[in-house]
Amino acid sequence: MSSFRQPIIRFDHASFGFPGVIALKDLTLTIGAGEFIGVIGPNGSGKTTLCKAVLGLMAPMEGHLHIFDCACDELRCHHRAKIGYLPQKGVVDRNFPVTVLETVTMGRYGAMGLFRRPGKADRKIAMEALTHVGMERHKDTALGQLSGGQQQRVFIARALAQQPQVLLLDEPTTGLDITTQHNVIELVEHLHQELGLTVVLVTHDINMIRTRVDRLVLLKTRLYAAGPPAEVLKAEILREVYGKDLVITEKDLLIVEDYHHHHH
Amino acid sequence: MLDLLTYDFMQRSLLAAAMVGGLCSLIGVFVVLRGLAFVGAGTAHAAFAGVALAYLMGWPPLLLAIVFGLITVWITGWVEEKGTMKLDVSIGILYTTTMALAILFIGLMKTYNPEVYGYLFGNVLSVTPEELRIVGALTVGVIGCIFLFSKELYFIAFDQDMAEASGVPARRMFFLLLTLVALTVVVSLKTVGAILVFAMVLIPASTAYQLTHSLSTLTWYSLIIGIACSVSGVLLSALWDVPSGPAIVLLSTVVFFISIMFSPKRSPRPLAVTNL
Repeated sequence: MSSFRQPIIRFDHASFGFPGVIALKDLTLTIGAGEFIGVIGPNGSGKTTLCKAVLGLMAPMEGHLHIFDCACDELRCHHRAKIGYLPQKGVVDRNFPVTVLETVTMGRYGAMGLFRRPGKADRKIAMEALTHVGMERHKDTALGQLSGGQQQRVFIARALAQQPQVLLLDEPTTGLDITTQHNVIELVEHLHQELGLTVVLVTHDINMIRTRVDRLVLLKTRLYAAGPPAEVLKAEILREVYGKDLVITEKDLLIVEDYHHHHH
Repeated sequence: MLDLLTYDFMQRSLLAAAMVGGLCSLIGVFVVLRGLAFVGAGTAHAAFAGVALAYLMGWPPLLLAIVFGLITVWITGWVEEKGTMKLDVSIGILYTTTMALAILFIGLMKTYNPEVYGYLFGNVLSVTPEELRIVGALTVGVIGCIFLFSKELYFIAFDQDMAEASGVPARRMFFLLLTLVALTVVVSLKTVGAILVFAMVLIPASTAYQLTHSLSTLTWYSLIIGIACSVSGVLLSALWDVPSGPAIVLLSTVVFFISIMFSPKRSPRPLAVTNL
C-alpha cells in the first residue's frame, strides 16, 4: 500500500549519534504521505533519536536523510514548521501563566516567521485546532489547571496549529491513566483519518496501536523489522528484540514488562 | 510635594525612573519565566566591574559596562547550551570573579572615587541630561527588540526545545534575550545601582506572576507595576530624603507581598471540568 504514497521522509543508510556513540545505525526507511507509522522498540533502541532526526534536529553522521525532498542538514525553519511535534510529556508548571489558547497559538509562531505578530487568522487556526481535539471550551483556562490528558490534547492542538503535514508523537500516552491513554490514541487515529496527516507515533505500548497503524517500525539501535503489524509482531522477532521482557498470553496479547521503566 | 516637580533634576529623575522601571519590568517577564534570575544578578556585578575598570583607566564607563555585561551573559549562555555545567554554577563563578575584579580595580585607584560607588548603590536624583538621553536611547532599542521578537521570546521562555522543534530559531532568540538582559542591567546601573538593579527586574514580573494566568496580562501588569513603583519610589525618596534605589526596591517588595496575599494562585483551584 505504501508504494503508492508520495515519500516525504526518506532515510537512506543513515546513522545517527555522537562521536563514539551510535544511537541508530544504518537506517533505511521511507515514510509516505498519509501513512500511520508506529515506532516501537525497547529502551535505548533509538526511538527518540529517530524523532530528533525526523524533526531535522540531528543530521546523519553517515548516509542521507531527506525530509520533504530537502536534505536534513539544509532543513530550514519553515520546513521544520511542517512537522507537528508532541514531545514526551514533561511536568507542566501549574503556575506558569499561559492560557490554553495562548499555548496553542504558539504552534503558529514557527510557521509565521520572524517579525510577524499573530493575527485574527492565526487565532482562528488555533481555535480550529482546539476544536479538533475537543478543547475549545477551555480556551481561556490556565494550562496548569487542566488534567494530564487535557494538557496532552492541548499540546496536540498546538502541533495541529502549525498546519503540519506530519504529526510526530513521542510517547503520547506516558503518565496517563488507561482510559485517557485510549482517548488520546483514538484522537490521533481520528486526526490521521480526518485531516489526512502522516502520523509517526513512538510508543512502548504495542497493544494500544497494533490495530490502528499501517506499518510498525521495530528498532533496536538499527531497523529490526518494518511492515504491517501482523508481519512485525511475530513471537520470534519480538522475543529476539525484547528478550525475557516479553510475555505472550493465550489471547496473543503482547506485554512488554519494562513498560514502566522507560526513560524520560 | 508639587514644588518638587518643578525642579529640572526631579523631572529628569522621574523620567529616568519611569524608563528604567518600564524596561526592567518588561525584560523581567522573560527572565522570570525562563528562570534566568541569577544570570541577571551576575550580569549586574560584571557590569560594575566594567565601570570600575573604566574609572581606573579613564575610559567611558557605560561602554565598558556593556562589554563586561555582554561577555558574561554570552559565556553563561554558551555554557548552558553545551550542557557541560549547571547554569547556576557557571554564573556563580562568573559573578564572584567579576566582583573580585571590581574590588581589585577599585583598590588600584589612588584616590577615593564617589562616582564608582554611585554605580554600586545608584542615585537616580543625580542623573544628568546626557545620561538621560543614553538611557532613553537604550530603552527604546531594547523595548523595540522585545516588541519585534515577543512571540519568539515567549515561546522560548515557555519551552525552548519545543520552540526549536516547531521552527522558531530558538538558539538565536535565547542569545538575544541574554543580550537584552545585559543591556537592561547596564541602562539601569546608574539609576538603581548594581546591587539593586535586579530587584527591579525580578520583583514587578514576580508580582504580576502572582496575579494572572495569561501571558499577555502578565506582561501588562508587570509593566504597570514596574513604572508605578519606580516613580513612586523616587517621589518618596525625595519627600523623605532617603536614598532612591532602596526606596524603589522596598516599595516594590511591599507590593509583591501584598500580591502574594491576594494571589488567585495561592489556594489551588479545583481542576477544570474533566472530559477525559
